[in-house]
Amino acid sequence: MGAFLIKDIMLLLRDRSELLILLAMPFLLIAILGFSLRGIFSGDLEALEMDIALVSEENEAQAVASIQNEIEEMGVPPEQTEALTQAAESASPQTMLVSLFEDESLSELITVERMDRAQAQQSLDEETVDAVITLPEGFTQKSLRNMLFGSKEGSELELLAADLSSPQTDVLDSILQEFVRTVNFEASISRLSGQESAAEVSGGIETITAREPITSFQYYTIGMAVMFVLFVGSTIAGQANLEQKQMVFDRIRLSNRSPLLYLSSKAIAASAIVTVQLALLFSLSALLFQTFAADSWAFWSGIAIISITLAFSVGCLAALMVAITLRLESDAVPAIFSGGVISLMAFVGGSFMPLDGMPEMLRAIGNWTPNGAALSAYFSWLLEPDLSQLMEPLMRIGIVAVVFLLLALALFPRKGGAA
Amino acid sequence: MLETDKLTKQFKDTIAVDDVSLVLKRGESVGLLGPNGAGKSTAIAMISTLMKPSSGDVRLNGKSVLKKPDDMRRVLGVVPQKIALYEELSAYENLKFFGRLYGLSGNKLEQRIEYVLELVGLADRKKELVKNYSGGMQRRVNLAAAMMHEPEVLIMDEPTVGIDPQSRNHLLETIRKLNRDEGMTVLYTSHYMEEVEKLCDRVYIMDHGKVIAEGTKEELKAILSDQETVLIEFDQNYPELFKKLSEIEGVQHSTIEEQSLKLIIPRGTRMLAALFHEAERYGAQVINVNVQTPTLEDVFLRLTGRKLRD
Ligand SMILES: Nc1ncnc2c1ncn2[C@@H]1O[C@H](COP(=O)(O)OP(=O)(O)OP(=O)(O)O)[C@@H](O)[C@H]1O
Ligand SMILES: [Mg+2]
Repeated sequence: MGAFLIKDIMLLLRDRSELLILLAMPFLLIAILGFSLRGIFSGDLEALEMDIALVSEENEAQAVASIQNEIEEMGVPPEQTEALTQAAESASPQTMLVSLFEDESLSELITVERMDRAQAQQSLDEETVDAVITLPEGFTQKSLRNMLFGSKEGSELELLAADLSSPQTDVLDSILQEFVRTVNFEASISRLSGQESAAEVSGGIETITAREPITSFQYYTIGMAVMFVLFVGSTIAGQANLEQKQMVFDRIRLSNRSPLLYLSSKAIAASAIVTVQLALLFSLSALLFQTFAADSWAFWSGIAIISITLAFSVGCLAALMVAITLRLESDAVPAIFSGGVISLMAFVGGSFMPLDGMPEMLRAIGNWTPNGAALSAYFSWLLEPDLSQLMEPLMRIGIVAVVFLLLALALFPRKGGAA
Repeated sequence: MLETDKLTKQFKDTIAVDDVSLVLKRGESVGLLGPNGAGKSTAIAMISTLMKPSSGDVRLNGKSVLKKPDDMRRVLGVVPQKIALYEELSAYENLKFFGRLYGLSGNKLEQRIEYVLELVGLADRKKELVKNYSGGMQRRVNLAAAMMHEPEVLIMDEPTVGIDPQSRNHLLETIRKLNRDEGMTVLYTSHYMEEVEKLCDRVYIMDHGKVIAEGTKEELKAILSDQETVLIEFDQNYPELFKKLSEIEGVQHSTIEEQSLKLIIPRGTRMLAALFHEAERYGAQVINVNVQTPTLEDVFLRLTGRKLRD
């Protein structure tokens, strides 16, 4: 087995053009797609940077104080008065909005400066700010009433942007929409749960920002990686075909070695190559494009678990391709596979673009391709490093791998005897 | 020690090997001679257990190897017609891989590699990639690889096609040495007569899948013992004269090669007078006349009416 494995790996290392396809190509594509499609993925922060002016046309402290007065006048029991008063202070919408922009993930993206109306208008005209958010007179009061007493009177704020159609404005607009919705909607929760209201309110806002979306570099690093590991199948099957054509395979048969040893070596070689390939692609992408911010052991070990499962399944796929190639005595299988099947699999697996809008059928198929399943596993891990969520996609990869393996064993020409 | 019994291989529409029975005795050097497509490689594939015969049997020391090929594979060293090596690996790496397949390792492996490289004269260039070798050197490594497991029988399928004379001589010398000095049994396939004449004790001649003659070189040539070959060289090609000469009474076969004419005639035929007479009539100048004893090539020509090589 060792002899086979060393030979298979050596052959690959000597093959420049294959190495180029397996390593350089995906890396190039990651760079190209990552840069050029920056901005269509919501996680691409740099592309969305903007400066905004915040204009407040009211006195926040006064508004809060007046609400607190209203609370006291309502004549509720003292402990409730106390709680509501505190809630009013900590849930002040203006403070919430500012702290939302100051939040770690948004502060890299958005710089907020307080100005008065005239100043803001001037900055907007001079294009030193991209947008102006105005909190009109009565905003705090209305919002707080809404939140604490469930009044139906909605609060509004005003967004003034230099370029209304820019993606930045879209993002800002949706952040604000979400904020306003939170402010108005959370009201009912606040009112119902009384004491815990303040925590609930901030929790509601958290949801906008806690989940870090996927950047174009993350998307394409993973998309290209899971696509290009498939080429290893072709490479290995191509090698087997060459061995058969050049009659080295006959020499191997003459040596009385179990042909299964040969097949398993091919599978293990493929898995090993895929592992190295994934490790190189991920670490290079992380180093050069800062693709993965997380540098914890936990994060990378999750990535490793997915990668190893994927490598195993590509190993089985390679074995299947080797079996068919040897049986047909033709290089048609690796040729067709690398010439079209891989692109198809990559497409339905979501390597090129998210499949959100695609037909259910297509997504179902994609989910059962090793690359598609691995892709969703990686993404789910990126969004939320939760092992239990990996189980399902990894299970799918495993099942498909075992099917490949069984087919490979069934189709492999066992030329033990004179055949 | 090794024999085939009515070995036959039928592909869809061709019978590549037809009822071939060969015998290889221990220590013998046997030639298998035949033109392209005669079925030599197919026969060898069956003998070396790489292909199942349509019918017939292959036996090693009296035991059929069709069901249990292991013993046969252990004794056989097969040198395929193609260069069955990894081009991207060096000679040394190739030999190491094949050696390990046969369970060699460590010192023993290194020693064996050293020995076979020495044998084929490539010890000093073992680190170069096979693809960078000349055709002749590749052929030599092809032989070396078959020698890794110390086989008792060496089966070679046209091991000298397309190589330079120097490599060819080296290879033939090596094989002869293995056979004479080390008692290696050799089955040597070729369509080069001279090689088989030089190397082999006994010869099988194949054509169209069948063995059409067999015996020692002398026995085969005896087929032509009542004949002789006349080679006449002219100053240029005279198509009409050549045709005329071929039709002289007694000529059994003729071949034209550029400006010379080869005639097979019954021994003792007097034809030189007629030859010069005709030449004069056509104004042709005879440069050389050579009367030869027959070669195996002539035997083949006689048996099949065709030349071994086109
Ligand atoms: N796998 C195959 N399928 C069909 N026909 C085949 C196959 N292998 C060989 N043949 C045919 O069998 C005949 C004998 O072929 P073979 O290769 O044994 O000849 P050979 O004597 O080795 O010729 P050469 O000197 O060219 O090597 C040829 O007509 C060839 O076309
Ligand atoms: Mg042949």
